[in-house]
Amino acid sequence: MSTTTLTERYVHEVVRRIPAGQRDDVAAELRGTIADTVEAREPAATDEAERDVLTEMGDPALLAARYADRPTVLIGPDLYPTYIRVLVLLLTAVLPVVTAVAVVLDVIDGAGLGTVIGTGIGTVITVGAQMVAWLTVVFALVERAQGSAAPERRASPWSPDDLPEHRPSDRGGVGACAAAIGNALLIGLIVWQHTAAPYRAGGAGGDRLQVLDPGLWSGWIWPILAGLAGVVVLELVRVAARGWTVQRAAWYAAAEALFALPLAWVLYRQEFFNPAFLTDFNGDWTTPDSFYTAAVLVVLAVSAGAVITRFREARPFAARG
Amino acid sequence: MILSQTQELRRGTVVLACLALLERPQYGYALLETLNDAGVAVDGNTLYPLLRRLEKQGLLSSEWNTEESRPRKFYRVSPEGSRVRTGLVREWQDLVDSIARLTQENR
Repeated sequence: MSTTTLTERYVHEVVRRIPAGQRDDVAAELRGTIADTVEAREPAATDEAERDVLTEMGDPALLAARYADRPTVLIGPDLYPTYIRVLVLLLTAVLPVVTAVAVVLDVIDGAGLGTVIGTGIGTVITVGAQMVAWLTVVFALVERAQGSAAPERRASPWSPDDLPEHRPSDRGGVGACAAAIGNALLIGLIVWQHTAAPYRAGGAGGDRLQVLDPGLWSGWIWPILAGLAGVVVLELVRVAARGWTVQRAAWYAAAEALFALPLAWVLYRQEFFNPAFLTDFNGDWTTPDSFYTAAVLVVLAVSAGAVITRFREARPFAARG
Repeated sequence: MILSQTQELRRGTVVLACLALLERPQYGYALLETLNDAGVAVDGNTLYPLLRRLEKQGLLSSEWNTEESRPRKFYRVSPEGSRVRTGLVREWQDLVDSIARLTQENR
């Protein structure tokens, strides 16, 4: 009695995983085959022989997958390269942007440094996990949808035209990346000191003060921020396009001018720092006029230098095409 | 190492062996025995699903024999299966010749 149940249980475990139309036929054949095998081993058909035969047949799920001609991999070799490509793109390009946006939003909301760092780490983990999970689900479904139809057929056959251009390693790219990040941080810093007013007059217990003149927010800070944002965007474009063109260098010059000229102007007028902050910070000491003159010259020189460098890098690319 | 390479090499030969043997109708377990006796090593959990796949592809046809005490499903080669077998045999001969030449040259 127990012998039949063991085989019956095994057969049931196999056929419940295959399409309904084939179940009875496969079950009947499997029953016969197992009985044949057991009988050939041991004519008395003992429990032990049955157990051995079923052990050799192996995991019913695996056998069912073979009967149903179903893939036993989540993402097969056809889709795997595309899967990896999209995954790398999502995690290295999209995730940092999403994280940066979340962090900037927190900064604008006036959150403290700890909260901002927490948001950054939290976004990387949760959004990153979502990206991996959903991408995997989509690719697994595609694998199953096309798996039985025609495993060899690809969306479009590969041809040598698909080969990427051979490009020498982009040494300036790292610098441009750093410049973009640096300028983005500068934007964050300016917004943060305005919204969080982190400086405390007269030590830990004092009034919260902004470092920069609050009056700037009804005027000159906006072109400065817009110019910085433009610089960030153009540096990122340069990373993606692997070089400057004359046209992009001209846009860069415009953004840099939008940033540097108003900054130089408010420094020249000595309207850059919050007077309350200066009084508290300097104590008895007064900032000399020469400090502002020097600051104006440094800002203009650094900006001019940056613009000239971009145009120089642009020249060979423009000549080529 | 040698084991996995051998398995890889043998994978396709089971189909050819089945198409060759099933000129006369056979049922699953008997075919498995015949194959193993002939030196074509194959497991039941590979062979039985394979027979159904070949049937689905139209290379084999099947019939239930209920005359004996235990009903059994008998498979035999279809006309299409015969054609495929002829092509596979030719391919096999070419491969044997090529490999023989190659292994001789390199000795």
